[in-house]
Formats: sequence, C-alpha cells, structure tokens
Amino acid sequence: MNSLDRFRKVNESFPMTDQILEHKSRGGKVFGWLCTYVPEEIIHAAGALPIRIIGYSHEANLDDADAHLYINNCTFSRSCLQLGLEGEYDFLDGVVGGSTCDGARRLFDIWRQYIGTPFHHVLTVPRKYTERAQRLYYDEIVAFKKHFEEYTGVDISDEALHQSTILFNESRSLLRRLYELRKRDKPPISGAETMEVLNAAYRMPKEIFNEWLGELIGDLESSDRACSGRARVMLVGSVLTNPEFVKSIEDQGALVVTDELCTSTRYWGDPVIIDNDRPVLESISRRYLNNFPCARMYPSDERFNRIIDFAKDYRVDGVISQIVRYCVPYAHDLPLLTDRLNGQGIPTLGLDVEYGTSGSGQVATRVQAFIEMLEARDK
Amino acid sequence: MTIERMNNKIDSIIRACRLIRKMNQSGPNARKSDILYYNMLEGYYKRLLSAHDNNNLIAAHTDFFPVELLYAMDIVPMHTEVTTWMIVLFTGEIENILASGSELGLVSEICTPHRGIAGAYANGVVPRPDMMLWSNLVCDNTAKSGELIVEITGSKGYFLDYPFKSSASEMDYLVAELGDLVGFLERQSGRKMDWDRLSHIVGQMNVQIELMRQINELRKAVPTPFSPLGFLQLITADYLCPGQPEAIAYLETLRDELSQMVEAGEGAVSNERFRLMSFWLPPMHMMGFLDRIAEEFGAVSVTEPFFTFWGEGELDPGKPLESVARKSYIIPAMRMFGPMDERAIGSIVDCVEQYRVNGAVYYANIGCRHTCATIKLFKDVLADVDVPMLTIDCDVVDPTVTSEDEVRGKLEQFFEMLEDR
Repeated sequence: MNSLDRFRKVNESFPMTDQILEHKSRGGKVFGWLCTYVPEEIIHAAGALPIRIIGYSHEANLDDADAHLYINNCTFSRSCLQLGLEGEYDFLDGVVGGSTCDGARRLFDIWRQYIGTPFHHVLTVPRKYTERAQRLYYDEIVAFKKHFEEYTGVDISDEALHQSTILFNESRSLLRRLYELRKRDKPPISGAETMEVLNAAYRMPKEIFNEWLGELIGDLESSDRACSGRARVMLVGSVLTNPEFVKSIEDQGALVVTDELCTSTRYWGDPVIIDNDRPVLESISRRYLNNFPCARMYPSDERFNRIIDFAKDYRVDGVISQIVRYCVPYAHDLPLLTDRLNGQGIPTLGLDVEYGTSGSGQVATRVQAFIEMLEARDK
Repeated sequence: MTIERMNNKIDSIIRACRLIRKMNQSGPNARKSDILYYNMLEGYYKRLLSAHDNNNLIAAHTDFFPVELLYAMDIVPMHTEVTTWMIVLFTGEIENILASGSELGLVSEICTPHRGIAGAYANGVVPRPDMMLWSNLVCDNTAKSGELIVEITGSKGYFLDYPFKSSASEMDYLVAELGDLVGFLERQSGRKMDWDRLSHIVGQMNVQIELMRQINELRKAVPTPFSPLGFLQLITADYLCPGQPEAIAYLETLRDELSQMVEAGEGAVSNERFRLMSFWLPPMHMMGFLDRIAEEFGAVSVTEPFFTFWGEGELDPGKPLESVARKSYIIPAMRMFGPMDERAIGSIVDCVEQYRVNGAVYYANIGCRHTCATIKLFKDVLADVDVPMLTIDCDVVDPTVTSEDEVRGKLEQFFEMLEDR
C-alpha cells in the first residue's frame, strides 16, 4: 500500500529525514524534544520544526554512550546519546527536556555538557495532577516560551499558538481514527505497521503528516486488508520505537491491537481542549500534564485505570509489558499493574528487554508460550 | 506471593548501638562524640519501638523527607532506608530481604536499597508504620517506592512532590505541598501542628547546619582531624534527628574535639598522605575494612560535595514551613537532584580548592542510575583541575558484588599513582 510505504521511507533516512533536510534547506530551525511532556506546539508556533529525539531502532554499539552515561542507565537514553555523540543530531538547533525520569534528566545533563547543541531548556514537570501542579506547570511552560522566544527572536502570538494547537490536535484526532480501525476483529493494519506511522510522526512536519495519514486512513477504510492472530494483545511499558520488535510478537501469532507507550497512545492520547476562557498556553500546559500518564506520575492508578479501559475497549486477551532494563518507573509499577490487570481477568506477560531489541530468541519463546496460554484459556 | 513473615528487628540495632558504645567507652582513645552518636541512634530506635505504647504514631519515610514536621507533632519517624540497612548491617539478613523484594515482582535492575526496603516491609523486618511518607528526592526509586509499601502495609500514604529547580513558583509549590502534608498528618494523628515547636526546631536546624559547616571548616586542616568515613555519621544525624537536642549535642562535642585536634596538629590517621574527595556511599559491609585501609595508606576523605558541603543560606524560624522548604534546597544532596549545571559542577571544583584534595574516589553503586550517569562528567571536571578520580564499582548493601581484595587492589594502585605524581 503506497500510502503506508511512504511512512516507512521517511523512517529509512533516520535521524535526518528528507523532510527535516528540506526544512533546514529553507532556513528553518529544528528543535529536538526528549519526552512527551515537552509541548511541541510552542516550538511549532515559532516557525520551527519539533522532532523527537530517539535512539537506534535496532541493537547498536553504544560504547561512547556507555562511557558517558554508564551502563546502568536505560538503553534508550544511551542510544539517544550515542547518536548525539556520533554527530547524527548535529542538525539540531536546540534540545528541550523535562525532569521526567532519572534517565531523561541525566541524558539532558550529559547532552548539554558534551554535545554542542546551541539551545537547551529543561522543564520542571510535577508528578501530580492537582490544581497547584497545573499552575506550576503552566509557569514552567510560560518560562520555556519566553526562553524560546529570546533564543529564536520570534514573538509567539496567541494566534500562532492557536493555529499550531489545531494542527497538532488534528494529528491526534487522525491517530485516534487509525487506532479505531484496530478495534475491528480483523484490523486492516498491524501493530508493526502502526509503529512505522508513529515513528514518522516524530520526524516530519505535521502539515504533511496529517495529509498523508488522512490518505492512509481512507485507503485502509476502503481496502480489504485484514490482519489476524490467535490472541488480541496490548503492549504496555517503556519507550519502544522498533517495529521489528512488534512484528516479532505478531509473528508468534499475537495480534497487537493497542498499546500504552509514550511513542504511541500516550503521544496522541488526549487533545488540547481549547477553552476561550483561558489562555491557549494554559490549555496546552493542562493537556500535557493531564495526558495519558507516564509511570512517573502519582497516583499510579490513573495510569492503571487508563490501561484497563484501553484493554477493554480493544477487547484484548492479554497484556505484554515490555520494560527496558533500568527503566525504574515502569519496573516499579509492574507488580501493582499486574495485580490490577489480574483483578480484571487479564493475564500479563512481563518482558525485560533492551531498547532497540528485535524480540528474537528468549522473547519470542516467552511470547509464544504466552499466546498458547491465552488460547488455552479461551477454550 | 510466598513471603515468610518475621518479627521486626529494631532491637538488633539497639543492641548493636549499645555494644559499639561499650566498646568505644572501654577503648584507650574513647571519644565522647562517638558515645553521643550511638546514644542518638539508640534513642531514635527506642522511641520507635515504644511508639505505640506511648500512644504515638509511626511515620515511615524515605530519604530527605522533612521529618522536622513529624518531630513538631510527636509523630515518631522511621527512616526507611537507614533502618532497613542498619538491620542488614547488624543481622546479615540481606538475602531474606532482597528475596522478599524479588518475590513482590521487583526486578533486579531496581537498586538493592529500594528492592530491599519493599522486601523488608513485606517480610516484617521493619515494623508496620501507621503512615508512609515519600517523595521524589532524590531519584525515581524513592518516588516510586511509596505506593507499593502503602499497598503492602495497608498504611495511609502521602507523596511529597519536590520541584526540580528552585524558581519562586517552584518554592511556592513546595511550601503548599508541605502545607498539605501538615493537613495529612493532622488528619491521621488527630493532633494539630505545634507551630511554635516547629519554629523552635527550625531555629535548632540553623544551629545544626552551622555546626556541620564548622566541622567542615575544621576538616580543611592539614592533617585533617575527622575520621576517614566520619561523614556517614554527619549525614545520619541530619537524616534521623534534624534540629533535635541529641544531634546537636553530638555535633557540638564533635566540633570541640576536632577543634582541639586541629590546635594540637593531630590527624585522624597517623600519617596523612592522601586527601580524598568521596562521591556517594561506600559499601556498608566494608566499613571496617575501609577504615583499616585509610589508616594503612594515610588516606582520608576530607570532603563530600554532595553529602556534607552545605549550601549558603539561613532558615527563618518566623516562617517555619517556608524554612523547611528552604532547607531542602541547601542540603548538599539537592545539587544532585536538580539540573547538573554550573552550580552543581562548580561545587566540586570549590571543594577541591578549599579542602586541598589530591584524589577522588567515586563509589559507583551499580543500581544507582542518576549518580553513575555522572562518573565521566565528574572525572573530566576533576581532570581539569588535575585531580585523578578512582571509580569503584560496588553495591552499597549487597556484599556479593565486590570483594575486599578487589577494592584493596584498586585502591593500592590508585594510591601508588597519586604518590608517583
């Protein structure tokens, strides 16, 4: 399907995609963000291109990063840093991070010290959803906007923010529509293919992405494509960008129909609610803090309940939790999440993985056994 | 889940404190400060053991929690990490505790201290608290540990959210968080906050912080008077008894003793050769061994930028809650929690100059992500001021990770290299 293949092509030239190259060639600035708590709308409203900094979507030599971040930081942080140290992100005009987890904040610290990206900003991200936390996060977003305006020399108007918000909301809405198709008994798109689409979303202008995604959804809706599997599965846990990993799960007979990942549902989960009674910047900050939460947030039941809702909505038979080694927030949550899912009669498979792994070997064996167990349960 | 329940082992700490104190008293060079230190510990754990008999509640809490609030309300604090690992140190229960943590489903990448504390609550080695208090100081493990403990113990819990930086709005946020915490404590205990008492404790914290600064000043002397790993006692006093008379008595006595030693030109080791900067905690099970190494090689830790090098500033007893918030930003460890910026890095260079450091030892606890991520950074910063750094891979509580022979070998090589310079 051509409308799907072009997303794959975008990802082939990672990390400097043709779309980034084109934006740069027109004199545009490109800013990398390290975590889903960084509001892309602000960067976009200044006329710059926000892209997500991610690591290799395959197993890679991380020797330089190991030396700078030590091996007990997650492979996602080290993989991102490795690319940075190798100069693969030299096209960036700036990096924006958040105090979201130890891996992310140290990646930001080391990046700032050793990689010559000109602009840096780190946001305090509260761990609560209280009204007080909303105010603090709003103040942080205001301070970021001011710092960003000073650096870029662009005054970001409310109107520009409003337009950017509409654009990014459209991406979220389209991704939701794509996911709706996965609720079918036989979805027209697989989990691995969906990840290709999502990966492209971080590396190209949303204006083009939305146009392409709209066309893809139209093609899928009118096609007779049908993916099937022996069990419907939801993926949860740490950051994941490797479609091969998802494919290896699907190759064992699972049909990955939904997920709870910061590189997918938690990226597009909730729209910015535009409320004329409050500044658009406040609407943005509220969306980012209240969005489908990362395991870092308190209380964890907010996340658990959302996972359970998704699991029911997508009629999953089981949940596969893939946790990147040393991803402490997710590892800490796993015993409680497993307990909550058990309470709903949903079995969980916990996989301890490295970021970028393809999911072969032990992972494949364990997934196979899990699928067999799910099948046996249904009989 | 099949975790064997045990009786709590608090009495093992009390017995150990008594024993060490007696040994100290009977030795030829008995120091009054050591006796007061172990008195402080014994008193802390006796209060914990008798809390319920005295109609007081027990509040378990994680590192750097503002226990000044608990003392002002007669709620008995139980420092979760210190208590668990003192029990391990004095009973050797490491295997049971870690196994119980694993039984809960905590994977091995979660550091042993935090896997262990969950295990300790699950198997009952530490007493069941009436409430669990935790915060995000100073890592993801502390931020995430509380909910599981609340679930295990059935206690009520409060999570204190520390902002990452220290802007005015972040300070306001923290003060309001502390206000909510007071409300939580009042609801759980049925007692009102005694604001006058809190003001008094804040005033005493000023005294305590000033004493620690004075002690650190004395440590600048050549030879340095403070024992090679004595900094662990300083941080324990602040962790367990901030603004409390027993901590102040200990610190005052220690300061006076060190002052006399400086005047007499006496050093902590008989022949001081290497003045070291220490990063993070050495393995707890190697304390005696490291003390012997220090004496053998004349190597003393004279400064610990993230443990004992207090920031500038004074607390205002007239604004007790704001002061408790403010204290969080002058404790040395806060430099490690916030952005690793010029201020944090600058403190390392400051310490090198002020304490005449000629080598640094970095205890790289293999489970600690946020500290280990700075190994190269600190090494490079120190190299710029011509101070070599040795990294020792270890585990703060698990004795199976590093052997004494291995550590000795590394230290010997490092000291030889320092000598050659």
